[in-house]
Amino acid sequence: MSIRKGKNYPYGIHIPDMKYLCASSPIEVMPAPNKLFISLSQHIGAPAIPVVAPGDEVKKGQIIGKESGAISANIYSSVSGKVLSIEEIVNGVGQKQKYIVIENDFKNEEVLFPDMKDFEAQSIIDRIRLAGIVGLGGAGFPTAVKLSPKSPLEILVINGAECEPYLNCDNRLMLERTDDIFKGINYVAKALNVKRIIIGIEKNKPEALEAFSKYEGFEVVALKKQYPVGSEKHLIYCTTGRKVPVGKMPFDVGCCVQNIKTMIACYEAIELNKPLTEIVMTVSGLGINSPKNLKVAIGTPFEDIIKYCGGLKENTVKLVCGGPMMGKALANTVKFASKTDSGLIALSGEECSVAQPSNCINCARCANNCPMRLMPMYIESCALAGDFVGAEKYGAMNCIECGSCAYNCPAKRALVESIRFAKAKIKEAKQNGK
Amino acid sequence: MENNGQMLVYSSSPHKKAPRTTRFIMINVCVALIPACIAGIIFFGYLAAIILALSLISAVISEFVYLLICGMNFKKICAQFDFTSCVTGLLVGLTIGVNYPLYAPVLGSMFAIIVVKMFFGGTGKNLVNPAIAGRIFIFISFQSVVTEWILPSGNPVTGATELTGMLESGNLSSLSLLDMFLGRNLAGCIGETCKLALIIGAVYLCAMRIIDIRFPLIYIAVTGLFTVALNGFNFAYFLPSILLGGLIIGAFFMATDYVTTPNTKAGNYIYFFLLGILTAGLRQATGMETVSFAILLMNLLIPLIDKIIINKPFGFTKTKKKSVKDN
Ligand code: SF4
Ligand code: SF4
Repeated sequence: MSIRKGKNYPYGIHIPDMKYLCASSPIEVMPAPNKLFISLSQHIGAPAIPVVAPGDEVKKGQIIGKESGAISANIYSSVSGKVLSIEEIVNGVGQKQKYIVIENDFKNEEVLFPDMKDFEAQSIIDRIRLAGIVGLGGAGFPTAVKLSPKSPLEILVINGAECEPYLNCDNRLMLERTDDIFKGINYVAKALNVKRIIIGIEKNKPEALEAFSKYEGFEVVALKKQYPVGSEKHLIYCTTGRKVPVGKMPFDVGCCVQNIKTMIACYEAIELNKPLTEIVMTVSGLGINSPKNLKVAIGTPFEDIIKYCGGLKENTVKLVCGGPMMGKALANTVKFASKTDSGLIALSGEECSVAQPSNCINCARCANNCPMRLMPMYIESCALAGDFVGAEKYGAMNCIECGSCAYNCPAKRALVESIRFAKAKIKEAKQNGK
Repeated sequence: MENNGQMLVYSSSPHKKAPRTTRFIMINVCVALIPACIAGIIFFGYLAAIILALSLISAVISEFVYLLICGMNFKKICAQFDFTSCVTGLLVGLTIGVNYPLYAPVLGSMFAIIVVKMFFGGTGKNLVNPAIAGRIFIFISFQSVVTEWILPSGNPVTGATELTGMLESGNLSSLSLLDMFLGRNLAGCIGETCKLALIIGAVYLCAMRIIDIRFPLIYIAVTGLFTVALNGFNFAYFLPSILLGGLIIGAFFMATDYVTTPNTKAGNYIYFFLLGILTAGLRQATGMETVSFAILLMNLLIPLIDKIIINKPFGFTKTKKKSVKDN
């Protein structure tokens, strides 16, 4: 099918995308390390419950953590080996999580799911749930829940925008595994029972656009290169023209947004009978010696990944897990690859600003660029003054934390940090009120 | 691991920020004012240079002294110095005439920086534009001392300037439009007579994406058209009303100051439209040059505009509004 142009959305920002660092390097498979730390909460919702004990022998693809509750996900071992311990670790982004530590025996024995009996909608959803698939774009919301909407949907939107600078893994996957993605999308569309499938890809990935245009049955939309076009609400607007109302979810306008990587995971679970044990991530930034697109086993320590990519350069000042706009900074390298990690970016001093904030000069750049049309400077001043009612009035709860406001602020104010703080306080107040 | 000793910065997202800082913006505004300064010096001679230097230096020194008195150490002041006081100082100097006593620019800058800016909390916290306030301060304080404007030739014009003369008597000025544009034979302040220089600066600011060209143009156009309307729709008034007086410098360099403009696009349209109406109306009513008074008055309205007009979130719907009210 031919490539269609996306609807124009006037608010957003333009960031140097820095994708050149590894846009053309094919995905490399990183061998699993000696020791893996697999977190039991790699998703939104309740942590999984460990079903192995220290000393147990596990195989690759064997379940080690079982979902607990409706919104949760199974966790599988990504290597064969022995469970050393189950311990709580505070990782580099400051989360305290339970980890299952597994020692790799390098035998690579693997267990698979049985073949699917049929490919009906419910069996597909069950398999996706079983395989522990969650939204791999970063949110980590269990995909099976997303595929069982309360009301019927009309459109499946696939997010191939990858608007975060530096990140390349979706782009590489779209080029290298186009067929698998296509199959995955079709299964998911079947599970959702939707007729219309749209895939939105930013214009700066012409090869990916080209690759998808040869398939029949879905619309390929070329999106303007603008951050954050890959945010759910904006992607829906740019591809379908529908606006998700304030405080509503994509399914309220009959859409379901899925990530490229999630589609591949679905394909692997359904056709190859594999659970989710590997992720593809971009290791990039001017602070890393050899930027790469890597396929790593879930649970691989970031330290090993950094070593595999040639180590950090002297000038690294910041390590970011995820993309540089929405990812989390790491205080140290104690972090282990999880389902939702899409990047490890080592920023050098010249790339990231560590300037001190000064007074807001009311330039309104933040408000003019906010893709959600909020008033970030007011939310911030309300939040700093402790007026969380005011912060809510200026739209704090609608903030998608995209960082467009803080990116452009000449006074270098920590807008997103304050807004996040305000959001937490507003939520707290609501809970106490109920 | 080898990099363990390295300090990693740990802070909130986003981790990448645009290189543009407040300081960069303010330095560029200063750069944009350079043509006007040069034109002023060419037209009005060395006295203009002295006045500009005095106002600039006293503005910067006022800021430093104030902060030092507040107990900030010198290094920190230097580190956070953002050149806004340079812009203020230059604008104060550009908007007075060469016949003012030399302590006028010093007093004006001090008033602008200390009273109008620093007392309210420094950069970004001031209610009204410091340069405008400084100019009005000088204008009112020296009203009885300085009653005439100086022509570039050095001869004084008593009483009415070209603009006020035109508005009062209703006779169009005898100057050619080109003279008005270049500032030849035009009495006035150091920086406001040569429109060419000001427009060069304004184009630079637009090219650097520091000001949004739409808003000053709206201001200028509304002022011109409203003057035309007040004078019986005589379009011969249009260009003179724009080119005479301080409208160009006010529109491009004073009214567009970030701190004293509304924070939304819609608010800005209203602000600059009202500003044009007010300027033309006051000019007609008082027979004086009222650009700075109009800007001062409108500055005071900004909190109101910003209270009423805020952006509507993406996906905002009417029903949502109702439910908020119901609560
Ligand atoms: S306020 Fe929120 S949604 Fe708006 S630009 Fe800032 S981070 Fe993005
Ligand atoms: S971008 Fe920064 S300086 Fe400008 S209004 Fe927003 S918070 Fe203030």
